[in-house]
Amino acid sequence: MLIQTIANSVVAGSVYAIIAVGLAMAFGVMKMANFAHGEFFMAGAYVVYVFYALLGWPFPAAVLMAVPIVGAMGIATERLIFRPTRDNVMAGFMATAGLAFILQVLVGQTWGVGLMRSVPTPYMGAMDIFGAKIGWQRVLVLPSAVLMLSALWFFLYRVKAGKALRACAQDPEMARLQGIRINRMTMLAMAISGASAGLAGALMAPIHPVTPYMGHGVILTAFIIVVMGGMESIAGAVLAAFLLGIVHTFVTTLSDAVTAQMVGVACMALVLIVRPQGLLGRVKA
Amino acid sequence: MLSLDGIWVHYGTVAAVKGISIEVGENEIVTLIGANGAGKTTTLRAISGLHRPSSGEIRFQGERIDRLTPEEITARGIAMAPEGRRVFPQMTVMENLEMGAYLRQDGARVKRDFEEIFHHFPILRERRKQMAGTLSGGQQQMLAMGRALMSGPKLLLLDEPSLGLSPIMTQEIAKIVRELHQLGRTIVLVEQNARMALRLAKHAYVMETGNIALHGLAEDLRHDPKIQQTYLGA
Repeated sequence: MLIQTIANSVVAGSVYAIIAVGLAMAFGVMKMANFAHGEFFMAGAYVVYVFYALLGWPFPAAVLMAVPIVGAMGIATERLIFRPTRDNVMAGFMATAGLAFILQVLVGQTWGVGLMRSVPTPYMGAMDIFGAKIGWQRVLVLPSAVLMLSALWFFLYRVKAGKALRACAQDPEMARLQGIRINRMTMLAMAISGASAGLAGALMAPIHPVTPYMGHGVILTAFIIVVMGGMESIAGAVLAAFLLGIVHTFVTTLSDAVTAQMVGVACMALVLIVRPQGLLGRVKA
Repeated sequence: MLSLDGIWVHYGTVAAVKGISIEVGENEIVTLIGANGAGKTTTLRAISGLHRPSSGEIRFQGERIDRLTPEEITARGIAMAPEGRRVFPQMTVMENLEMGAYLRQDGARVKRDFEEIFHHFPILRERRKQMAGTLSGGQQQMLAMGRALMSGPKLLLLDEPSLGLSPIMTQEIAKIVRELHQLGRTIVLVEQNARMALRLAKHAYVMETGNIALHGLAEDLRHDPKIQQTYLGA
């Protein structure tokens, strides 16, 4: 039971990490929060629903399709919402909150609102770890998260364009003075942000109820994680994702999901009281 | 090389720079001195494209640059070590310098420039893997200058390089500015430390509340009784 819960925590933490990292990254570069991030997650799940469940593509191919498709949605959001509303946090907030509703209705109108879309589980059976049983579909999430996070780390710390992205997040004006084109960088950040949310949604499609409103729960959790981790800190988001994964899973197992959500928010409040800049956030000079 | 002609810069409705004209010749150090809020930093920010002048013209090597973005101006060969250093705090010294060379494609020359910068600032070589935010003020100033030099600029803008530094560190910075000039760099130096600035520069402009109050050879201004009284504390 204990091992089972720990294993579930790690899986939950991995999914949270993939989702939250994208949100933290977009916030770092633009200083604006994307309230439609949960709907990017939902879009990823629907890509798998369409390509895998409806069109009969192999599951991995359908998951890979989610990356460019939702990445492109990220780029479109940057171009059509964040760029015109730059320097106006309120407008960006309203517009992305609006986008969230538009995407929900659009998906609902196209594929139906009522019952959840059924996506058959591609990998039946479960893995046995010291007596704990974890479905292969869930096991798959962990290496995907590790792969995605390592690729992101490599890009940000070893590739010139990735370093430029970090420079933009730390001091956009100075980044421009080095010749870094900031519009390209915000576009890149939103592409990565969308792609990662889409990937998470795609991986979860067979084990998460696929509905137009599945982004709701995700966005709340993602914001709790990003605030706990320190808003712009990607490492902080990963750390907070796994911590919250443990907290949510244990509380859900011992009590129920609603209590888990409450405890999660309480954890965030606690972090904000003890360390207002977040676990790995830094105080602005 | 660089000329400002009747430049006005506004913040909202307030004019910070009121129709100033400045000439900078090739291989010269030109200094802008004046009290806090005189418009010196704003002038530099207008040259580098961070503020768009509301009227007037800025020409660099004969071409107008006052409608270009900061990215484009950097690409033309103007680099700035800004007020307050503004290094990327959570990047290493090495990464900061790499960002300075962001636009450059000529790998071999970039490598040589790294060496040149480490020659001017040996401490940066020692600290190259350290996070820039953990450097001392003087070291950050050196890094900001090094980062600006890494773009291989034709014109270097230095905004208050001595601000907040110890007298010894200030002398060190002054020495490096002189070396850079001897190597043929063109430099615009904004300073509150008028004594240091007037020793380094050939021409000087004195700014007061957005206007050029006085300009001429630095040597002459140094002996001007009014300047001595107001800016040199004699």
